[in-house]
Amino acid sequence: MTSLPVTSNTSGKTRGAFLLDRGVGPLLVLPATILVVIFLVGPFYYMVYTALTDLSFADATRKGAFVGFDNFRRLMRDDPLFWNSFLLTLKFVVVAVAMEFVIGFALALLIFKYVVRQRLLTTLLLIPMMLAPVAVGLIWRLLLQGDFGMVIYYLRAVGLLAQNAAVLSQPDLVFPAIVAIDIWQWTPFVTLVMLAGLMSLPRSPFEAAMMDGAGPLRIFLDVMLPLLRPIIALVLLLRGIDAFKEFDKVFIMTGGGPGTLTELVSIYAYRVNFRNWDLGYGAAVAFMVYLVVLILCSVFYKAVYWSAKPSSGLPAGAKP
Amino acid sequence: MLKHTRGQLIAGMIAAAMLQVAHAAAWTLEEAAKPYSGTTIRMVGEALPPLEALSKLAPQFEQATGIKVEVEMYEHSEAVNKVQLDLNSQRGRYDVIIQPHREMGKFATNGHLLEIAPFMADAALRDPSFKPEEQLYQGAWKEISWYDGKMYGFPFTVLNMFMWYRSDLLADAKEKDGFKAKYGYDLAPAQNWDQYRDIAEWFNRPDQGLYGTALQGKRHEALWYEWLNFLYSFGGDVLDVQSGSQCGPVVVNSPQAIASLDYYKSLLAFSPPDSLNYFWDDVMALMQQAKVAELIMWNDATYAVAVDETASTVVGKVGFDIVPQGEGGKIGQLEGWTYLIPTYSKNPQAAFLFIQWMMGYDRQLEQHLNGGASGRPDVYESADVQKLPYAKASMASNEYGKPKATLPQSAEMTDILVRELSSSLAGEKSSKEALDASAKEISTLLGSCAPMSYPAQ
Amino acid sequence: MIDRAASRPWTAFAWAVLLVAVVVALTPYLWIVLASFKTRVDLFSSAPKWLFSPTFANYPAVFIGKEYWPLAINSLIISLSSTALCILIGAPAAYVFARADFPGKEDLFFFFLTTRMAPPISIAVPLFLFFTSLGLIDTIYAVVIAHTSFNLSLVVWMMRGFFAEIPKEIDEAAVMDGRSRLGAFVFIIAPLAAPGIAATAVLCFILSWNEFLYAFILVAFEGRPLTVGIPGLVTPHGTLWGQVAAVAVVATLPILIFTFLVQRQLVRGLTFGAVKG
Repeated sequence: MTSLPVTSNTSGKTRGAFLLDRGVGPLLVLPATILVVIFLVGPFYYMVYTALTDLSFADATRKGAFVGFDNFRRLMRDDPLFWNSFLLTLKFVVVAVAMEFVIGFALALLIFKYVVRQRLLTTLLLIPMMLAPVAVGLIWRLLLQGDFGMVIYYLRAVGLLAQNAAVLSQPDLVFPAIVAIDIWQWTPFVTLVMLAGLMSLPRSPFEAAMMDGAGPLRIFLDVMLPLLRPIIALVLLLRGIDAFKEFDKVFIMTGGGPGTLTELVSIYAYRVNFRNWDLGYGAAVAFMVYLVVLILCSVFYKAVYWSAKPSSGLPAGAKP
Repeated sequence: MLKHTRGQLIAGMIAAAMLQVAHAAAWTLEEAAKPYSGTTIRMVGEALPPLEALSKLAPQFEQATGIKVEVEMYEHSEAVNKVQLDLNSQRGRYDVIIQPHREMGKFATNGHLLEIAPFMADAALRDPSFKPEEQLYQGAWKEISWYDGKMYGFPFTVLNMFMWYRSDLLADAKEKDGFKAKYGYDLAPAQNWDQYRDIAEWFNRPDQGLYGTALQGKRHEALWYEWLNFLYSFGGDVLDVQSGSQCGPVVVNSPQAIASLDYYKSLLAFSPPDSLNYFWDDVMALMQQAKVAELIMWNDATYAVAVDETASTVVGKVGFDIVPQGEGGKIGQLEGWTYLIPTYSKNPQAAFLFIQWMMGYDRQLEQHLNGGASGRPDVYESADVQKLPYAKASMASNEYGKPKATLPQSAEMTDILVRELSSSLAGEKSSKEALDASAKEISTLLGSCAPMSYPAQ
Repeated sequence: MIDRAASRPWTAFAWAVLLVAVVVALTPYLWIVLASFKTRVDLFSSAPKWLFSPTFANYPAVFIGKEYWPLAINSLIISLSSTALCILIGAPAAYVFARADFPGKEDLFFFFLTTRMAPPISIAVPLFLFFTSLGLIDTIYAVVIAHTSFNLSLVVWMMRGFFAEIPKEIDEAAVMDGRSRLGAFVFIIAPLAAPGIAATAVLCFILSWNEFLYAFILVAFEGRPLTVGIPGLVTPHGTLWGQVAAVAVVATLPILIFTFLVQRQLVRGLTFGAVKG
C-alpha cells in the first residue's frame, strides 16, 4: 500500500476536463444539488429567517412579526440556561471524544499487532454504533435502573457503587455516566477507523527509523503519529460533529436532569422548539449551534485537509 | 359530601330518564347520523388502555351510523407534538383530537378549536338524553374541557393522584405493635403528612428490599404532577386564581409552597436511591414488585397494580385513599385528557356524534373497567366499578381535584418548575432558591397579569 | 512497531484486553436479547437472571397483538426507497467530483458536508410546513425525500473516494472504445466500484432505518416505522420492557446482517473512503 489517503496523483486540471465534458459534469451533480437545496437549504434559510421573528405556536399574539436581532440579543445576554447547556456540551464533546480516541486508538494498536483474523472481531465491535439511538437510550435506562438494572447490580456487587447509591440520580455521577455511555457506543468506531489507518501505513518509513536505531516510543511519536495525522483529524472531526448534536440517548435516560446537570444544548433546543413552541427563539438557538459547529469544522477542515490541495480524489494531508 | 352527591345524582338520573321518554321518538343516533353515513372520522390520542377500549367500541358506532372511525395511538409526547403540528398546518387531518387539558389555552387562543355549544343546540345532532351539566363531574369538566368560559369538549379521562398503600403491611399485628411503641399512635393509612412520613420511615428497610415510599424525582413532568399534590395540600398554589384559564399573581414561592417542597425532599430519605431518575413507570414497577409501602400515584394506573395478576405481585394487598391532608385540606391535583374538535375538521358533525355516543353510560362503563377514568359519577356507582378496590378513593379524589394552569404558556411554566424542582432535589438549590427562581421566571413569562406576591431574593 | 511479531505474554495480555472490550461492547445488546424472552417477573427480579425459562409471548404480543408487524414493513419500504434514490442521485455526483473539474467544485463539495451540521430539530418544523404546502405530508414520499436529502452528503463524500481509486486510464480506454462518458460510468466504472457502492448503500440504509424525528413528523400513523413505534410501549401504566426488547431485537436484525456482509467496506465508507478497510 502506498500513500494516504488514496489518490491517483497523475492527473491535472487538463486531464479532468478531458475525461468529462464541461457540460456533462455539472449536469450529473445537478440532481443531488437541487434535492439538497430544496429540501435542506430551503428549510434551513426559513429557519434563519424565523430566528429574526417572534413566531410562536403557543402564544396567539406572536404570529411571526420581524423583530430583527432581538432573539440573538436575548440569547447572548439574558439566557444563562443556554450558556450553561452550551458549555456543558463543549465539555461533553471534549471529554467523550478524547477518551474515545485514546481508548479506541489503543485497542486498534492491539488488534493491529496481535490479531490476524479480524473480521469477526471487528463486526462484533460495530454493533453498539449500529443500534437505533432511541433503542440505545432505552437499553441503558433499563441497565442503569436503580432497583432492577443489571449494570447497577454488578457495580454494587463489586463495590464500585455504594448499596444506597445509584448512577443517574447521583449529581456527581450522572455526567460521567452519559459520557461513559457515549464512549461505550462510539469507541469501536475510533478503533475500526484507526485500525484501517494502521493497515494502510507504508512500511519504508518504519524500516528507515529502525535502521537509525530509534526505539518504539520514538517510532510511535516521530513516524506513526505524523503518518496517521489525516486519519486522526478525520476521526476527531466526525465524532466532534456527532457528539455536538447528541440528543436521543441522553434525553431518554435523564431528560437533562437532575437539575440541568446533563442538559446538552440539543436538549435545550428541543425544549424551546417542541415543548414551548417558541419557534423564533428556538431557531436562534439552533442557528448558534450550527454556526459553532460550522466554524470549528471549517477551521479544522481547512487546516488539516486542504494543506495539500489535489485536483481529484480526496484531499491529501500526508506527504507521499 | 359523598351522600349529598349521590342524592343529586339519583334526582338527575330520574330527570334524565323522564326526558328520554319524552324525546324517545324524536331522536335516534341512526337518524341523526344519516347525512354523514359513509364518511370517515380520524382521531388521535395516547396509546393507553382506555383508547384501546374506544377503538374496540368504535365498530358498534360504525354499524349503527355508517360512520367509520379510525384511531391513531401514539406515546404521550408524540401524541401532543403530532397534534400541535397538525393544527398549525391547518390541514385538517384529524376530526377528533384527544389531548391533555394543559394544552387547552394554546389551542383555544389560537383558534384551533370548534366550540361545542352550537352542536349541543342543534336538535338534529344533540341526543336529548345526553345532559353533561347533570351527568359529569362539573368541576372536572369545566377545567378539562372548557377554556375561558367556553365549552370545547368532554373529558376523555378524569385523572388525579391519590395515596396507594400496602394494606397487608399496615394490618400486620407485629407491625402495628412496633409502630405504636415507637410513634405513640395506631398504625393506619396516613391522614396527614406527619403520619405519612412516620409510616414511610417505619417501613423503610432497603436491606430487606422494602422502601417507605417512592418519589418520582426524574426531570420529567411526573415530578411536577406529584409535587402539585404536596403543594396544594400544604395550602399553596402556583398562581392565585380560581380557574386554569385565568392569569393572576404568582404565589409559587409562598411559605406554604416552600414548606411543601422541604417536606417533599425530606421523603427522599425513605425513597429508593435512584429516585431522582424515577418517574411513573419506575415507581409503578416497584409497587408491582411489592417493594414500596406507600406512595402517591395516578388513578388510571391502579388497574395494573391492584387487579392485573399478570403484572402485579400485590393484587389484594393494596389500599387506596385520598392524598393526606395539610393546611389545604382535602385536595389533590386534577388532570385530564379531553375530546376536542379541531376547526379544520372536515366532518365536525360526525365527530360530535361520535364523542356524544362515547360519553354514553355503557361506553363509559366499558372504558372505565378497561383502565379508563370516567368523567361520569354514575359510572363509579355501578356495582362492577364499586367492586374495584380503588373505586372510593377515585370518587373522592374526583370531588377534590384542584385545577392547574391551562394558559397558552402552561407548558413553559411546567418546564420551568420541573427544572427548578429537579435542581432542588439534586441539592443544587434550597427549596426557597428554587421556588424564588421559578416565581421570577413565571412572572416574567406571563407578564403584567402575573405580579409576584412574595418577594424573591 | 509496525511488525506483528510479538512475544507470548504480550499476546495473552492483548487478547485479554480485547476480550474485555468485546464483552463490554456486546453485553448490553445480549441483555436486551435475553430480556425479549423474559416475563415481567423475571425482568424485574432484584438479582439479574441469566438463566430462566424463556417465554415466547413478547414477540407475538407486540407484532401481532399490537399490530406492529406492518411497522417493520414500513421501515423496510422507507429505508430501501431512500437508499436506492440516494445511490441513483449521489453516485453520479460523486463520480463527477472524483473526475471533473469546474469552478467552485471544492466549495460545492464542502457544502455537502455542511448540510450535516445543522441540528435536525432546527429544520424539522420548516420541513413539516414545506411538505404540507406540497401536499406530500403524511405520505411515505415525504420521509423518503427527507432521508435521501440528508444522506446525500454521505454518499457524495464516501463515493468520491471509491471512484478516485479507480485509475482514470480505464475511463479513457472505454471512451476510446466508443462508449459515451455516461456509458463508461454506468457500464464500466460503476461495476468496478460495486463494493464501495454496496457499503455506501448499507450505511444509507442503516441511517434511514434508525432515524426517528423526520419519520415521526412527516409520515402518517399507518406509514410509521419501527423507531416511531418503540416509544408507544413506554406508558404511564408501566413500560412493557419485554415488548420493547422484542422490537429492539427485530429492529437490529437487518442491520446486523448487512453489517456483517460489508464490514470491511463499511469502515472505509464511514471515513469517507479516506482509509482502506
